[in-house]
Amino acid sequence: MQSSGTDRSRRLLTAAAGALLAALMALVLIIGFRLATRIRDNVATLRRASLLQAYPSELSQQLTALRERLGTLEYTGGVQQELSDSVAGVNRDLTALEHRRGLDPTLLGTAEQLWRAYGPVLAPVLAYAGEPYSDTDFGSSLSVSGKMYYTQVRRAELFAQSHAPALHRQLTALTAALQKRTSNAAARLRLLLSAGVLAVLLLGGAAAYLQLARSRGERAAQAAEEQTRDILHTVREGLFLLDADYRIGSVWSQALNHLFGREDFAGLPFEELLRDKVSPATLATAMKYIKLLWGERAHENLIKSINPLGQLEVTLDNGRGGKETRYLQFNFHRVLGAKGVKHVLCTVADITSNVMLTRELHEAQESAHAQLDMMVGMLQSDPLQVGGFLDAAAAGLKHINAILKEPARSHAEFSKKLAGLARELHAIKGEASALNLMSIAQRVHHLEDMVESLKGKSELDGNDFLPLVLKLDELLAHLRAVREMIGRLGALQAPASAPADTLSSPVLRPVGAEELAATLQNLARKLAEDHGKPFTLSLEGLTEVPAQYLGALKDCLIQMLRNAAVHGIEPDTVRRAGSKSATGQVRAQFQRQADGFELVFEDDGAGLSPEALKQAAVRKQLLTAEQAAELDDRAALALIFKPGFSTRTEVSLDAGRGTGMDLVAKAIYGLGGRIGVSTHPGRFTRFKIALPVPRETAVA
Amino acid sequence: MSTDNARERRPVRLLIVDDSNIVRRRIERSQQFDDLQVVGTAANGIEALELARRTDPDLVTMDLTMPQMDGIECITQLVKFKPTVRILVISALADKATAVEAMECGANGFLNKPFSDRQLNEAIAELMA
Repeated sequence: MQSSGTDRSRRLLTAAAGALLAALMALVLIIGFRLATRIRDNVATLRRASLLQAYPSELSQQLTALRERLGTLEYTGGVQQELSDSVAGVNRDLTALEHRRGLDPTLLGTAEQLWRAYGPVLAPVLAYAGEPYSDTDFGSSLSVSGKMYYTQVRRAELFAQSHAPALHRQLTALTAALQKRTSNAAARLRLLLSAGVLAVLLLGGAAAYLQLARSRGERAAQAAEEQTRDILHTVREGLFLLDADYRIGSVWSQALNHLFGREDFAGLPFEELLRDKVSPATLATAMKYIKLLWGERAHENLIKSINPLGQLEVTLDNGRGGKETRYLQFNFHRVLGAKGVKHVLCTVADITSNVMLTRELHEAQESAHAQLDMMVGMLQSDPLQVGGFLDAAAAGLKHINAILKEPARSHAEFSKKLAGLARELHAIKGEASALNLMSIAQRVHHLEDMVESLKGKSELDGNDFLPLVLKLDELLAHLRAVREMIGRLGALQAPASAPADTLSSPVLRPVGAEELAATLQNLARKLAEDHGKPFTLSLEGLTEVPAQYLGALKDCLIQMLRNAAVHGIEPDTVRRAGSKSATGQVRAQFQRQADGFELVFEDDGAGLSPEALKQAAVRKQLLTAEQAAELDDRAALALIFKPGFSTRTEVSLDAGRGTGMDLVAKAIYGLGGRIGVSTHPGRFTRFKIALPVPRETAVA
Repeated sequence: MSTDNARERRPVRLLIVDDSNIVRRRIERSQQFDDLQVVGTAANGIEALELARRTDPDLVTMDLTMPQMDGIECITQLVKFKPTVRILVISALADKATAVEAMECGANGFLNKPFSDRQLNEAIAELMA
């Protein structure tokens, strides 16, 4: 590509040499043709001149022959005719020569003069038409006219004999001059042809040299092209250029084919390449990002950190008929030309192993932190509470085992199993994080991840659950370890105040109202800290909660508190911007009513948007768009009690599994109660739970 | 000769915009350029625009989430009023769409919070070049 300039001049040079060669050839041919024509003419003239040369002596001989015949009285007619022919010949040839260009005029003139002198003496001879002989009985003799004729012939003979050499010489000189001219022309032609051949050879050599140089250039270009091809075949990143219309260029690296499982990249719009791999929002941001590179303001190096395709999770064929999740990194670089940005070079790298490594490191770090957190958490929390949690968790895991053992065949049965597992796990996670037992919460979260991924599968069988069982065993072992540690800590904390055996082996017992309040306050503090959203939790009337309801309400309150912290309360910057107090308020009020109890739980956060809930429900495929459009606001709000619903797309430890309010609703219905929600966008979300008076039989 | 040099080396005028006092001081202290002069610090967009009119900065470091007038609005107006100004967004924003929007509005670069001294100085050097 870089040699295109010299390539072009070389081609021009070759063309010029060719044209010069053709012109020279034409010139040589034209001049040669003219020379050849002249030579041909000269040769014709020469032939005539050499014929002419013979005439003077011929004339002499003919005149002598005529005289001798007259002497011997022989027939003279034939000889006279020959003589006449010769004279006519000389006249003809001389006239012909007069018309020839380039003959030396003096030579010709002298010859003509000499010839003209013949005229008077030859004329009477030629003109004679009488009978030269007279026949008598004594024989024949010359007649009178014959005698005169004889005298005229004799005179002419003598004249011819004396003049012939001069005329002959003159004609010979003429011939020689002609010969010289002809041979000169021939020499010139030879010279011209030699020069022409030489020039042709020279030009031909030059053309051959240029051609050689060109083919050498072509070979170099070919070699360069081959190297480029090798690079594109071997490089492990996907490489291609984008033009100003964001279309892929005609050249790309082989790796791109493997990364995207297609080969039709030429001219493909970049948007099309990613359409089914990226969310529309990310894609839109990515297109805007690429557009920045075509602009002048953004510095390429300084916008790398906001590349929306810096780490893209995609599902690819693993080459064995299955699918796998990979992480791709897109990088964009300006390619500058003379007039600014010419292309944008895009590189695509598979960074899955990097991502996994980073994740493992992060997880290891997290778990190390969590262990420490747990130690600290356990030191801070009441060993009895932790013990209560451990017993509840053990019971929950037993339930989970039971669910796992339930036989299932149809997809619906498997789905039901998975929903049950998700609910149980979520409850355990909630309590664990309320008690700051992050190592446990994390393990349960991991299990939830596994359940979640199973939910996404279209076909399930018993084997799919095996990894879950293994993880559950791990969790059980961990719980045992925690229980042991609690026992030791308990012994450390209060070795003297109480008998060691009761404290070191906590037993399941009903949760008290004060314990519940402390748990909730702890959780609130932790949530505020984790999410960077300061808020206060006020609790009223919890002492009124009947003992039968304490366990269930605790689960519900934990869940609602988490929801309030994650979804409801806004970050303080947002709150300040909306002229709210920077610190959020969350309130739970339990009170006795005429026909039972009422629990009001409210936060002064962002509130719920019926539209957003509808959209989320459609996205989760809980509703079709048509069904959603028909819902009024009240029905839209009720969507949050639907199983599998969550407005958050990113799953975190605290919320976003979508089983949160489902769990609450289920628990409330289980107690024979009702739950309702009201909200005002930007101001509050309020849940009202009505519970009946507990049945006496429920008290065990 | 010496006056020529002095004119050529007019110090680059830096305006720091961030609602956090700590971040403002951090930026002020960690820049390591002899020919960079901090001409003002602002805690929100409105203040930033006022200061920019008065101090005519060449370079602005800009937070995005600020009270009263946010960074994006401020960038838009700043570029309108002084198209040659170079703007480095310094933000902890995780949302890339907003970051890209800031660039679309005319910012020249983006630096993630938290940042190291080296990152800050490299970014400033790139923008001063």
